[in-house]
Amino acid sequence: MKPNCRRICDMLAQYADGTLADTQRAEVQRHLDACPPCRVVAGKECGARQLLRACADRLRGAEPLPPGLRSRCQAAGRSRNTQTTATRWWSRPSMRFAVAAAIIIVFGALLSVVTRQSDALLAAQLTADHVKCFRLFRPDEGKTMDAAQAEQILRDRFGLDVHVPASSNGGTAGRGGQAVALLNARTCLYADGRVPHLMYEANGHDISLFVLEGESRPPAELTAFGHHTRIWSRGGNTFVLITPADEAPVASAAQYVAAEAH
Amino acid sequence: MFRRSPAPSDAEDFSAEALQFLEPLFATAMRLTRNRADAEDLVQDTFVKAFRHSNQFSRGTNLRAWLYTILHNTWRNRRRDASRDTVEVDSEQVELAAAGPAGEPADTPERILMRSTLDADLQAALDELPDAFRQAVWLRDVEEFTYAEIAEMLNVPIGTVMSRISRGRRMLFEKLSASTAAIVPVPAEAGGRR
Repeated sequence: MKPNCRRICDMLAQYADGTLADTQRAEVQRHLDACPPCRVVAGKECGARQLLRACADRLRGAEPLPPGLRSRCQAAGRSRNTQTTATRWWSRPSMRFAVAAAIIIVFGALLSVVTRQSDALLAAQLTADHVKCFRLFRPDEGKTMDAAQAEQILRDRFGLDVHVPASSNGGTAGRGGQAVALLNARTCLYADGRVPHLMYEANGHDISLFVLEGESRPPAELTAFGHHTRIWSRGGNTFVLITPADEAPVASAAQYVAAEAH
Repeated sequence: MFRRSPAPSDAEDFSAEALQFLEPLFATAMRLTRNRADAEDLVQDTFVKAFRHSNQFSRGTNLRAWLYTILHNTWRNRRRDASRDTVEVDSEQVELAAAGPAGEPADTPERILMRSTLDADLQAALDELPDAFRQAVWLRDVEEFTYAEIAEMLNVPIGTVMSRISRGRRMLFEKLSASTAAIVPVPAEAGGRR
C-alpha cells in the first residue's frame, strides 16, 4: 500500500456517495487508476452503495407493520394533543377570566351551602352584599318604592308571599319616631341569586332586609364587618336584617322593619 | 413554558406528519433490534417520546431526522440498561474484520443486482454486520441521511460515521459476493472502479 492509500481510503465513502468536491474527486480518481488494491476497495464500496440504493425502497417497506402499532402510536399522539389543548385553553386570557368566574361561582355556591350551617358566615356574606348593593344599586335621591310593588316583585321573581314593611314617617310607627324609607327590592347574588334583598334607609343610614325562603334558624344577633346582623325565622322563612354596628340612630327603625316583616 | 407548545391544530399536524414515517421507522427498528417484538416496542416508545417533546421540535427542521434521532437514542438507552454496550465496535479486532480479505470480490454489483434472491441476500448480509456498521450503512444508503444527521443520531463524530459507512459497505459487499463466489467466478477487472 502506498503512503497515500490511507488518505484516499478515508475519502472513499464520499467518493462512492458522489459528495466530494471536484478537485478531491479528481485526486481520488488519479490514485485509483494507478493503485489496483485501492481500486478493489473502492469497487466494493461503490458496489454496496449501488445495490443498497437500488433496493432502498423495498428494504424500507420489507417489514409489514405489526397489527395495532399504528393505532397505538396514533393514540399516543391524541393523548398528547388533548394535553396540549388543555394547556392552550388555560393560557388564553379570555379563558383565564372564564375560569376565574367559574371558580368564584363554584366557591360562592359552596359558601352558600356552608353558610346554612353558620350564622357568622351568613352574616358576613349578606353584609358584603348589603354594602355592595347600596354602592351599586342605590336609587336616585328621594326615590322610594311602594311596599305593594315590592311585594309584587317578591311574588313574581321568587314566588314569595311576604309582607314587606312599607316606608314610614316614624309618626305612625310610633316608638321613637325614626322615619324609614323603602328604597328598592332587588335580586341578590347570594345563593345563586335566589334571595330577595329589600333596601331601606333610616336617619341617613342603610338598612337591608334579606329573606331566605323555606329556611328555619334559631334567632341570632351578631356583628360582622362593622355591621349588626339580626337573624330570625317566621312563617317558614328566615329574615336577616343588616344595620350599622352602632344601631342607636336606627334602633326604632330596625325594630319596626323586623316587627313588620312576615 | 406554555407558549412554546404548538396550537391544537399544530399538534394534529405534527401527529399526522410524524405518523407518515411509521413504516420506515419500523423497518429501521427491525434492523436495530432484529426482533419484531422489540422493534414494535421501540417504535411505540419513540412516538410517545416524540409527542411528549413535540414542543422541542422546531418547525421547518427535518422531522424525519428528529424522529430517527429519538429512535436511536431510545435504543442506545435500552442497550445501556441491558448492559450490552457497543464499546467493542471500533476496536482493532472489528477494524481487522472490516478490512476483510484484501482480495478481489467474487462478483460484480451488476450481476448481484440480477439475483432473484437479492432482497433476502441484502437483508441477511446487513443483519450479519456489526451493529455500528449496519446502523451507519442503513442510515446513509437506505434512508439517505447526511453524515451530520447520522452523527447526531448515533452520537459519534462525523469522521467516525464516514469510516463506519466505508467499512460497513465493504463488509457488506464481500458477504454478498461471497455467497456466490464458489458458483460464478468473475474476471479480475470486474471489481474495479465504477
